[in-house]
Amino acid sequence: MLDQNIAAEVLARAVSTGGDFGEIFLEDRVNHSVSMKSGKIDTVQSGRIHGAGVRVFEGTRAIYVFTNNTSREGLMDCASKAAAAVRGGKGCQVLPFRVNHAERPEEIRLLPTEVKAALKAEKVRAAEAAARAVSPEIVQVQSGFSDSVQDVLICNTEGAFVTDRRVWSRLRVAAVASDGKENQSGSDGPGAAMGFELFDSLVDPEASGRSAATQAVTMLHADKCPAGVFPVVIDSGFGGVIFHEACGHSLEATSVAYGISEFSGKLGQQIASPCVTAVDDGTMVNEWGSLHVDDEGMPTTSLTLIKDGILTNYMIDKLGSRRMNMPPTGSGRRESYAWAPTSRMRNTFIAPGTDDEDEMIATMGEGLYAKRLGGGSVNPATGEFNFAVAEGYWVKDGRIVRPVRGASLIGRGSQVLMRIDRVGRDMKMSAGVCGSISGSIYANVGQPMIRVSALTVGGR
Amino acid sequence: MEMNVFVDQLLAAAKAGGIETAEAYAREEESFSAKAMDQQIEQYEVSATRSLSLRGTVGGKMGYASTEAFDDEAIRQLVEGVIEGAALNEEEEQDEIFPGEERYPELAAEENDFAEVPAEDRLAIALGMEAGLRAADERIRLTEGSNINVSQNRVLLRNSYGLNLERRGSLAFAYTVPVARDGEATAIGIAFRVGRKLKNFDPDAIAREAADEALSMLHAEPVASGDYRVVLRWDAMQSLLSAFSGIFSAENAQQKLSLLAGREGETIAAPIVTLMDDPLRAGGLASRAFDDEGSACRTKAVVEAGVLKTLLHSRKTARKQGVETTGNAAKAGGAVHVAPTNFYLEPGGKTLDDLLKDMGEGLLITDLSGLHAGANPISGDFSLLSKGYVVKDGKKVSPVERVTIAGNFYQLLRDIRAIGCDLNFPGSGIGAPSADVGTLKVSGK
Repeated sequence: MLDQNIAAEVLARAVSTGGDFGEIFLEDRVNHSVSMKSGKIDTVQSGRIHGAGVRVFEGTRAIYVFTNNTSREGLMDCASKAAAAVRGGKGCQVLPFRVNHAERPEEIRLLPTEVKAALKAEKVRAAEAAARAVSPEIVQVQSGFSDSVQDVLICNTEGAFVTDRRVWSRLRVAAVASDGKENQSGSDGPGAAMGFELFDSLVDPEASGRSAATQAVTMLHADKCPAGVFPVVIDSGFGGVIFHEACGHSLEATSVAYGISEFSGKLGQQIASPCVTAVDDGTMVNEWGSLHVDDEGMPTTSLTLIKDGILTNYMIDKLGSRRMNMPPTGSGRRESYAWAPTSRMRNTFIAPGTDDEDEMIATMGEGLYAKRLGGGSVNPATGEFNFAVAEGYWVKDGRIVRPVRGASLIGRGSQVLMRIDRVGRDMKMSAGVCGSISGSIYANVGQPMIRVSALTVGGR
Repeated sequence: MEMNVFVDQLLAAAKAGGIETAEAYAREEESFSAKAMDQQIEQYEVSATRSLSLRGTVGGKMGYASTEAFDDEAIRQLVEGVIEGAALNEEEEQDEIFPGEERYPELAAEENDFAEVPAEDRLAIALGMEAGLRAADERIRLTEGSNINVSQNRVLLRNSYGLNLERRGSLAFAYTVPVARDGEATAIGIAFRVGRKLKNFDPDAIAREAADEALSMLHAEPVASGDYRVVLRWDAMQSLLSAFSGIFSAENAQQKLSLLAGREGETIAAPIVTLMDDPLRAGGLASRAFDDEGSACRTKAVVEAGVLKTLLHSRKTARKQGVETTGNAAKAGGAVHVAPTNFYLEPGGKTLDDLLKDMGEGLLITDLSGLHAGANPISGDFSLLSKGYVVKDGKKVSPVERVTIAGNFYQLLRDIRAIGCDLNFPGSGIGAPSADVGTLKVSGK
């Protein structure tokens, strides 16, 4: 993608005024999507993302300059602009490149760029038809399939020169159920770091369509969720977003390195109930949040964040590593060349425990069973998090009595982690898109079914 | 390749490739940003980028493609992408490539002072906010950063009918996020300025405002769950209006994603509610003379005195409903959708203090979180993590956090009891004043 001599020349220019680390990230990415509304294919879109960024460090200062002009002139211009912003540091040498192509454990059998759009449209159609068939109350279905092939080159003054190809595919279905006066929605969106072979084994479009539509119809006939503090059981799969928000973001160097996170300085201390072990693993084959190398050219890792309630690791990028005096963990990620990388999650989940799923509900008394969660957010400084319950059921005397809608869950990360009193045996993961200061990236969330002894349920 | 030269070649290649009508939409942007932390510049970012999307019809059906590379290969990919996409398009009512209006409204040129403010002076704004926070109070020793962003862009819309439109935009914003700590208590504040005159940004004033907010939120506690009267401060009201602005889109209505479908002419809000969409607003962040398919933009009331006057339209949605477009076509990834421009709740006559006085007892909500998840535009339901203050005898008495407010936006529009005079546009074209929104369900302790 880039001649080594040019790369070396650009890096030399970038650190010429005293920068002590220089890096080039170059990307060429093809996105494709097929979407369907009201039973008709309405938008088929292809797009090419193309550009590069030059980054320079001066101690813990970071300078980033990016462009679409990836010619020698364009990159040299970026390097000059970056160098001009350096105030005069100790400088560094451009080490000889160790050229390699990232090791890829998986095989992409059907590269999305080589699959006809008409074949993709068939899958989208199947999901939509299955959703419609669930109930006459389904008044709208939006379904779509999107895929990306991203080729990257990452090289730096430390001698890294890595190329990699990342491939992702994802199906999405959103259904709306209506009785004419009220609308409710349901959705499903399975995705993986795979090509079109995703549909061979992993994803059944009809099952996704049915799942989204069933959720919408169930919620249309649900009561408003009661408000107050209750025990909450959160199901496996996307339920793992609770850990992602309540804890994951607060363990990223982005907030830890500056002492902002409520978990800063807590390594080796108990921050969660002893039944909680949590992992951020970028190495899982074909998983949505997996990487071969991160966006700083480092091999990805599997990292135990919490072991039996004790904080064992943070997620650290190169810049964070300088501030924290700790090694980076292969967690540097970015949406594209238009964002400087920072520490981010990959596949993040609560590890399987030993508790019985039925017992959790049977012994919870009155509370909420959150079968499916929507998205959420957190402020790492205060630890305050929130997320939406997409499909919930009210539990009374240990029995599920009725569906409830419009609920959200809020709390403080450090409190909720200590209040997890059950962790089930069957861990599942689910695809999500995570937004933070280096843009939107693909990340899996996951967990077995868990119970939180007390959580504020926002309801009506 | 210069953008217009690339577009010339692209439109010629599209024609030669069999695309009947074609439109190129290009955007070029330059940006500068910096973040100060710990009293020094920690991050510094500069960029020059451009992107282009092509759409075009083959057999009357529309296809879409976009690129950030500008070479011969890109031209081939764009043309092939449009042709492949068009062949699969099944919609009966299609988007169109528009030959253009005879006249477009005249907008006052946007003046900015960016050229007169060199990088060092821009960095001084970020450093100034950081220093201001430090000076404000000893309980502020940490920040999430003080930021300055400056950007300028040019949009080019050209099509195979010879239409050739251009608009330029520019924007600067500065914001700071202090973290206040007092014993076990932590609270954050935020304050920002948006504008086109960097010389008007006063770092001390921004820092003071953010520091005051952070300090005033220290030792906040949840209130007991129950029904509360609520005043939403302008920023919280704006967040909510922004999250639900899609319900006014004719595109959503026609797809049964909005409950306002077919409700034009009906009362959908309290009589004091008027919602304007004004693309011609002087200095507005979304001001424009033409929309993203080349239709002329115009000012209109979407809701007037509680009555839904019109939904927002593109050419396609308008044709489908037998009305004129409202000039609200907006490109997203190449395809045309519908979006508001400068869209705001018309201010009333009362100050925020008056609103609180009239309410007497209740909550003043100043911040809503997680709107992407906790606000459901399909149902109108919302349940959102909120911050603010307990109000007693018309006055703020203590800070509140870790509560949710829940309700339904369609109902809230009907329940609005009073509207403030403090209309603000925090960082986008969508704006709101503070408003007394009646009674909402609060979950707390």
